[in-house]
Amino acid sequence: MATEPGINMEAKIDARENPFEPYLDALKKVLEDQDPIFMIGIVVSLAVVVITVVFLKYLLSRKTVQSAVLLVGLCDSGKTLLFSRLLSGKFKKTQTSITDSSAPYKAKNERGSSWILIDLPGHDSLRPQYVEKFKSAARAMVFVVDSAIFQKEVRDVAEFLYFLLTDSVVSRNVPSLIVACNKQDITMAKSAKLIRQQLEKEMNTLRVTRSAALSAQDGSAGASVHLGKKGKDFEFSQLPMKVEFLECSARGSKGEDGEADIASLEKSLALL
Amino acid sequence: MLDFFTIFSKGGIVLWCFQGTGVTESFTGPVNALIRSVILQERSGNNSYTHDALSLKYKLDNEFELVFVVGFQKILTLTYVDKFIDDVQLHFRDRYKNELEQKGARTLLSSCFAFEDDFKMLLCEAEESSKARGPTSMRSFNASLKSQKTVKSMIETKGGDKGKEQGGKKNKNAKKEAPAAEPVKGEQAKAPASAQKTVENGNQGLTQEEIIQKKREEFIRKRMWAPAEKPSKSPKPVKEKTKGKEKRVWTLGGNSTKELDYSQCNGNGDHATGVHVLDAQADPGMQLSSMKGDLLAVDYESSEEEEEDVVEKVVVADTSKQIPKRGAYGGMFGMLKGLVGSKSLSQEDMEPVLDKMRDHLIAKNVAAEIASQLCDSVAKKLEGKVMGTFTTVASTVKGALQDSLVQILQPKRRVDILRDVLEARSQRRPFVITFCGVNGVGKSTNLAKISFWLIENGFTVLIAACDTFRAGAVEQLRTHQRRLNSLHPPQDDRGRPVVQLYEKGYGKDAAGIAMEAIAYARNQDFDVVLVDTAGRMQDNTPLMTALAKLIAVNMPDLVLFVGEALVGNEAVDQLVKFNQALADHSISDKPRLIDGIVLTKFDTIDDKVGAAISMTYITGQPIVFVGTGQTYNDLRSLNARAVVGALMKA
Repeated sequence: MATEPGINMEAKIDARENPFEPYLDALKKVLEDQDPIFMIGIVVSLAVVVITVVFLKYLLSRKTVQSAVLLVGLCDSGKTLLFSRLLSGKFKKTQTSITDSSAPYKAKNERGSSWILIDLPGHDSLRPQYVEKFKSAARAMVFVVDSAIFQKEVRDVAEFLYFLLTDSVVSRNVPSLIVACNKQDITMAKSAKLIRQQLEKEMNTLRVTRSAALSAQDGSAGASVHLGKKGKDFEFSQLPMKVEFLECSARGSKGEDGEADIASLEKSLALL
Repeated sequence: MLDFFTIFSKGGIVLWCFQGTGVTESFTGPVNALIRSVILQERSGNNSYTHDALSLKYKLDNEFELVFVVGFQKILTLTYVDKFIDDVQLHFRDRYKNELEQKGARTLLSSCFAFEDDFKMLLCEAEESSKARGPTSMRSFNASLKSQKTVKSMIETKGGDKGKEQGGKKNKNAKKEAPAAEPVKGEQAKAPASAQKTVENGNQGLTQEEIIQKKREEFIRKRMWAPAEKPSKSPKPVKEKTKGKEKRVWTLGGNSTKELDYSQCNGNGDHATGVHVLDAQADPGMQLSSMKGDLLAVDYESSEEEEEDVVEKVVVADTSKQIPKRGAYGGMFGMLKGLVGSKSLSQEDMEPVLDKMRDHLIAKNVAAEIASQLCDSVAKKLEGKVMGTFTTVASTVKGALQDSLVQILQPKRRVDILRDVLEARSQRRPFVITFCGVNGVGKSTNLAKISFWLIENGFTVLIAACDTFRAGAVEQLRTHQRRLNSLHPPQDDRGRPVVQLYEKGYGKDAAGIAMEAIAYARNQDFDVVLVDTAGRMQDNTPLMTALAKLIAVNMPDLVLFVGEALVGNEAVDQLVKFNQALADHSISDKPRLIDGIVLTKFDTIDDKVGAAISMTYITGQPIVFVGTGQTYNDLRSLNARAVVGALMKA
């Protein structure tokens, strides 16, 4: 009987698949018992959940990518005018900013990369909360300094710069730092080199006084990040991030209708 | 007439500006001063501000994040400015709605706002409307009501006077009890007319003249009717007078209780007198208006106000696009509607939440007027703001209040004592800190703590004992000096103690001691001089003068006001009076005011930390030190976020 070995073979194959068979059969039976629409519903919802999870992961990972350049500095240093010049090239009268302004900026390089330029208010009572809000999204910071009255303000400038550099988020993300010495159109403006030297000296002193400052009343101590190398005088080259000093003039030497002198700033921004 | 008008975004870009003819100075300075002192210090409750010779009025548009500022000379009193700003705001919003609605600053930078023509038109309208309400021409004598009075009525005799008054009073009582249906109707007919007039004016300041005129007419009406009643009333009081002394009859002290039974004669007797009075009137037409005037001497104004309010509410409801049927939707639906979709905040929405927040702040020991000023400022900041989806009014208001509180507590200048001491050392002069405050707040204790912190950081300290009044003050400081020296033995190369005390005993002039101490410190190369003064109440004028003299003469680098965290509403009074005294008695035109605050006894309050807010709000100066105990180590700096967190905690 030729069919018998065939049947025997089938019985053998069946026997091999046997351990799974009953389970598969039971599963098939249960599935078939259910309404097909219900099955489709379950499948669709599972698919939606999976897609959502993937999407969320993608979005969250997008957020932590730093895509903004912050314009920071003391009050009246020219940040808002610089913001206007960089974006539109026009001169606009400005007042003390109370909130931040942001706009997408197209860098002048071959890639044509565009990121968001954010102008933060410089007033002392608003500075900390706005820096807090935007520091994690920063890929670079443009620190605007008023070169004309720098001598009087050197301690305030240095304190703000120290506060920025010792911030835990900033020292983790290491955004590049561009120090723009603004208001170069005024005759008494200091050069970028001089400003750099004075800031280094000041930061050196600040390292000592800030670490000796009193802790807050609920026990939280100040920033414990130490700038530069211990035992040596502070220099900006010791920092983990790229620091660049350049000169610019948002107002421009030809008055309000002329062009602004921000070529070097634009070049640096293009390299980001 | 206006010096300038600017419209700028909250991000700082000026969208449009107007400078009056003949005005040469730029307005950037005054407007920046306005922003810094009013908006950033959360004093935006009242919307005007004076800077030098200019008076500035401003308005915040929170939906599009704009600020409208107008400036004019302080000596001019322009009445149309408030309404003018509102009109300009509405016009600007309507015209540039498209540009303003877009997020991001690109559109603001690139678009050009050519608003001159509209502005000129609005300005002309506003000026004309104010001119139209010029001073009213005086009426001639014949036209006035005085000429219509008889001479006899003007004569004031003693009896007649009383009679007039009594007549007036009786009249009032009669009118009050008599149900006057017709007069009410007549009054209702008249009131809307007058109310319409006031609503049409629209500007509160200009209706004052209307109100004055109305009241004048009413008063004259009252006077007109009083003389007419006088003849009927005058005989009675005169008769009573001539009778002489008679036995007093108590109406309720009688033997029988029949007199206490008012069931019959309750309304009748008065009705009779009321009718009697009515018959005495000459003209029935005048009678109606007279009853109206006297009947509601108090009620007339209130019911007229109600009419006014009703009409105004209707008018306001028409102009604004609010749908009053929101309440009719029922709880569930209304709540959902409130959550989803963009809704702009109005004063009524925020009112209950702000009241609750105000009470919460007061419960946390913030001074009452500071709390209300803060809430007003937050209301101004949020008015008209469009809320996002799924945000409730309460959460928006709480968030805004939290931001404002953090902003107030953030120092407005750099606070780094050690750095400043180093700077003074490099200039070869001592850094002088003066401590002032009322009695018993912890000046001497915290002075010792601060000197401990300074010597820990390697500075030499001279303590000037300028408290020459309190018993044991000098000895207390001497004990502190000995202890600090024993904790830090003299290690510097000069081998001299790190802390020294400069004292001249009791009863001497504090300002003189301070001056000598500073000179001594300069000679001996001390880094810091800490000047301890006697505690004094802010109302004590001679002592406040002495303190002001000490500060004005010695010009310390830092004037610290020591205040305890337990103080409540007193903090406002203390700081205001201290600052006032320092400003009044200073010799220069730039007086030295309080530069910083030391908040002591912080460990005694758990989370009732409101005193910190009150003190920083009043002075605008930062809290430099926080004293958290009674040993040398209990000195901290302020963490604004932690304090605000404790304050907002339920």
